[in-house]
Amino acid sequence: MSDTGDARNGDREVRITDVGALPDSPPSELRYRRELQVLEAVRRLFASRSIITGLIVRQIRSQYSQQFLGIAWAIITPFAQALLFSVLLSKAGTNTGIETLGVPRVLFFYGGLLAWSFFAGSLQSGGNSLVGNPLLNKVYAPREVFPLAQIASSGVNAAAGALVLPALFLITGHGPTATAVWTPLLFIPLIAITVAWTLVVAAITVYLRDLRSGLPLLVQLGMFSPGVLYPMSAIIEGPWRLVYTAFLPIGPMVEEIRSTFLLGQSPDFAVVATASISAFVYLSGCFVFFKRLETGFADVS
Amino acid sequence: MRDQFGRAVRRVAGRDGPNPWRWVLRDIDIKIEPGESVGFVGPNGAGKSTLLKIVSGVMFPHSGNVAVRGRIGALLEVSSGIHPDLTGRENITIFGSLLGFGKTEIERKFDEIVAFAELEDAVDRQAKFYSSGMKTRLGFSIAAFLEPEVLIVDEVLAVGDQIFQQKCLDRMRAVLDSGATLMLVSHDLASVGATANRGIWLNEGAVMADGPIDDVLALYRKDIESRSAENAELQGVVSISEFATSSPSGNGIESQSPVTISFALDSPDTRQVAVFVGVSQGPATPIFVSTRTTHLREGKSDHSVTIANLPLPAGNYYVWIAVRDPVARKDLTPWQPLGPLAVGGVGRLDPLPRAIVRLAPVYVEAQWNEH
Repeated sequence: MSDTGDARNGDREVRITDVGALPDSPPSELRYRRELQVLEAVRRLFASRSIITGLIVRQIRSQYSQQFLGIAWAIITPFAQALLFSVLLSKAGTNTGIETLGVPRVLFFYGGLLAWSFFAGSLQSGGNSLVGNPLLNKVYAPREVFPLAQIASSGVNAAAGALVLPALFLITGHGPTATAVWTPLLFIPLIAITVAWTLVVAAITVYLRDLRSGLPLLVQLGMFSPGVLYPMSAIIEGPWRLVYTAFLPIGPMVEEIRSTFLLGQSPDFAVVATASISAFVYLSGCFVFFKRLETGFADVS
Repeated sequence: MRDQFGRAVRRVAGRDGPNPWRWVLRDIDIKIEPGESVGFVGPNGAGKSTLLKIVSGVMFPHSGNVAVRGRIGALLEVSSGIHPDLTGRENITIFGSLLGFGKTEIERKFDEIVAFAELEDAVDRQAKFYSSGMKTRLGFSIAAFLEPEVLIVDEVLAVGDQIFQQKCLDRMRAVLDSGATLMLVSHDLASVGATANRGIWLNEGAVMADGPIDDVLALYRKDIESRSAENAELQGVVSISEFATSSPSGNGIESQSPVTISFALDSPDTRQVAVFVGVSQGPATPIFVSTRTTHLREGKSDHSVTIANLPLPAGNYYVWIAVRDPVARKDLTPWQPLGPLAVGGVGRLDPLPRAIVRLAPVYVEAQWNEH
């Protein structure tokens, strides 16, 4: 019933397989092993950037559709938290060990929470971006596009949250300091750590769903880690700062961003260098880890 | 998760439980040339969808290699790529970019996609208010209009209505005519036969047959027949035996010649019955049926039905039978396969243009004249 004049049909015989003769398992030399070439993987990821932008638009549009306040929630949440902390801590007295160094408390907390909420939001939404994702076995793309798109959406939310900063500057009468020129540079290690950890959380969550339940708790605890709401120096002294930074660079990076932007302090180069090296190591290790587990995602999730 | 953990524990402990996994695909070695259109048939669980997922790069094989050249437009349960909270318009741009198409290309094809999907003013409505048919139409239109080099279609025809099914077939033909390669999975064998020129029959993960679509479909239909014969409840109140086919003219059973189908009915009592005899190709849906109401005496009686000009092209068919009580409207013996009917001779179906689905194989002699 094919096209008249279709030559391809005529020269082929039907080939019938003797199913009984099929081997029980494939020869071991055919075992599928995907060679992991990091450069090639990065190149393919770059080629998929239109997919990432598509996913970001899709995520943000659907996140705020049918909401009255919409993207304003990106401001409300960290602002309410900052307000809560500043009111709570000023009522509880001054001996809480939190030194805001002359910066109004609201601003101090808001700055830290904004950077932290980018990290925490990425970890939570990106971590869950693979499990139960209907697109995972419908559309081919390097799997990291799904967590990356979530990270980028968190970035958009954080940027929206930053829009309220000028208003806060006006109200509090405290503006960004001259050392703020360093701040954009400090975003690089922050983003690298965020990407690295989100990839790992996303990959592990596919296989170990416990992380889905446990992650909110871990993120909540992380908010109280040194550097996020109070200076690291308040509880960690001397060279231990660098050891701590090497393992958990996120808190120290939040602190560096805040102190350069608001407190007029130059970056602590030892801390920033340690955090950057750590971020690079985390990023390469986590990317390889993710790509190793990637082949099973469509089967398990 | 628990069974994964259990498996890990078993593996660590060195205890061998029952092997919890099976081969979904075995020993597949297929090469598809550019421009071919391949129809995959086989029962549920044969591995058809898994094969397409591996080809489209969504899943990875345990062993073996897949090489694909060209841009793939994969339609795997398309409606799930449509985001319910976005409008049809947003879905087209975003789903299009997810399928790997550029912005300008999507904009250029936008109107065609909307028109094909018959969305009309619904484009600006959120997709959650769409019917399931609309979602499938939208998904199909996006993937099929963005000119893929390899179009992979997994059972999408079943969801649309008949008019849309025909449009899909026409669209697939247009894609094929533009030189693309098609891989199609469907249980609608007539559509597969009309669209594909090569057939691959999968069963329990193995390629049973690979070749020209008509030959593969014939083999697969034969297999369906024997399976449905095994599954049929062969016993009824009236039992049937001594099935035979013969040619009253003595020339053998051929297209356009008479054929006699004879059988014996064994009834436990005297009763009025309606006997249905039909001929099918593959499953239980007959091409034609002949009925007669008659009186059965207690015991065995011989019956035969003669068809004057057998309207079937040469090929292999199956005779089906049912016996009913016309008064109580009850099955005495349910519809079941009786035996094979081989038709010889020169009666062949004329080939059809692609994407035209023949409802049933019927052979007619025709005379063409030019006036």
